Amino acid sequence: MKVGFIGLGVMGRPMAGHIQRAGHELFVWARRPASADGLAATFCATPAELGRQCEVVFTVITSSDDVKHVALGENGLIEGMAPGSVLVDCSTIAPEAARNIAARLGEKGIAMLDAPVSGGAQGAIDATLAIMAGGEAAVLERVRPLLDCLGKRVVHVGPNGAGQVAKACNQMIMVAAIQAVAEAMRLAAASGVDCARVKQALAGGSAASRVLDVMGERMVRRDFSAGIEARLHHKDYGLVLEAARKCGVAMPLTAVVAQQLNALMAQGWGRDDTASLLRVLEGQ
Amino acid sequence: MKIGFIGLGIMGRPMALNLIKGGHSVTVWARRTESMQPLLKAGALAAASPADAARGSELVISMVADAPDVAEVMRGVAAGAAPGLVAVDMSTIAPAAARRIGEDLAAAGVDFLDAPVSGGEVGAIAGTLSIMVGGSEAAFARAKPAFECMGKNVVHVGAAGAGQVTKAANQIVTGMGVLAVAEAYAFAAKNGVDRSKVREALMGGFAYSKILENHGQRMLDRNFKPGFKSWMHEKDLNIVMQTAHELGLCLPGSAATAQMFNAMVGSGLGEEDSIAVLKLLERLSGQE
Repeated sequence: MKVGFIGLGVMGRPMAGHIQRAGHELFVWARRPASADGLAATFCATPAELGRQCEVVFTVITSSDDVKHVALGENGLIEGMAPGSVLVDCSTIAPEAARNIAARLGEKGIAMLDAPVSGGAQGAIDATLAIMAGGEAAVLERVRPLLDCLGKRVVHVGPNGAGQVAKACNQMIMVAAIQAVAEAMRLAAASGVDCARVKQALAGGSAASRVLDVMGERMVRRDFSAGIEARLHHKDYGLVLEAARKCGVAMPLTAVVAQQLNALMAQGWGRDDTASLLRVLEGQ
Repeated sequence: MKIGFIGLGIMGRPMALNLIKGGHSVTVWARRTESMQPLLKAGALAAASPADAARGSELVISMVADAPDVAEVMRGVAAGAAPGLVAVDMSTIAPAAARRIGEDLAAAGVDFLDAPVSGGEVGAIAGTLSIMVGGSEAAFARAKPAFECMGKNVVHVGAAGAGQVTKAANQIVTGMGVLAVAEAYAFAAKNGVDRSKVREALMGGFAYSKILENHGQRMLDRNFKPGFKSWMHEKDLNIVMQTAHELGLCLPGSAATAQMFNAMVGSGLGEEDSIAVLKLLERLSGQE
């Protein structure tokens, strides 16, 4: 199949590689052409030109505005993609933005799935991402063989936007858990107890979690180099709170964690790992 | 002075009336023409558009709902502006949005002030609003006679955007203040203590505030009529939290308060006064 890929960052690049290795013909576009270096792919001049060549196009980019621009802007995908082709947006953006983009593409007969992923750079490299899809079930079935190249777990959550809602829920739980682990480490250290031992003791019990495992370990080793850059979680928390506001629901914990992320950003740790939430607590 | 006035809602209408009472020649425009009627009866002239309201005016004032409305209205004002016009927005919008609108107007040769108000409908009618102004000294001096018809406490806070920053700060203090009084009442009641006695005892001490006095009394009376609608307070707290997000600013108290106001809007209390946060607290703690 002819597959397009836009967004060749830490997530997109390994994902594009998996698609290609599965025997598909790869077309790419990037704002900085250099980011496609070393990929055996056809480089296209614009998203529209890429869209013209492909049956399925993946986007993995940062913000709602970027996705809107690539999909609907001048020389955007909408100008090139044929009716019946599919855009799979793996970016994390606002559910409402995803619904709007899907509606606009739908007017031209172009299908869209919002298919944000969880699992980080390592998950992208290992092709073990969790993929949360929103859109029509039939469309998902058409592109499922491609998604199976990227992840182990592909769940159809609901109509357009539902994938992004699931991703928002994922981010809420994960970052709140990171904050909880950071506070536990802080309490242990302030009480003169060895953090490594505490983490070890907790691993077998009810508080065991992947976040305790991975992020707790980073905190114990004081390794704050990014796995996932904290600025991306900060961005996601903005989306989550905006969604909560639109629904008129209170999310007191998320709101407070968002403030800790704001403090993290103010310290200039946005490009470090979110385990830096521990350092925010230490700065009291 | 010849003044154009745009936006004649709950706040805008009495503010424009006070300008007329102050002897100014006022030309009005509103999206809904019927809301212009009471002003025309009081001697105002009708404009056909925001540009028309700006034409021939020395000062144009807008009092509308949200940043996109202000931007749209001010684009019209710029089109109709004579050289030397001062445009004043008295709506509550984000400081960043106010700065952008100010820059756009400056490019069109129009001087801009952001001048949000505090004091509610009562203050607007009585002409006793607090007015917090951002922008140039020269523009402030030009607009000051108009401000003095509408408000008592008029403060030039700083450069463009500073008025909105002050208003956001005002909403932080009032939002948390209302929640604080409501929580104190919920605490007293759950402990079986008479809230009105608690209020009376607190009035003389360090916990005294205008909010304890006024909002506190209305909570005791269970008078939830607005005043200041809680959906508007929610909107203003959202400006605070968005700005905090953009700046990297840790505001845990405001964050918790904003969530309570989210819940008020979501549970149908949006049209009631912001003191209805007391109802939400009572619901959460099984005190209904």
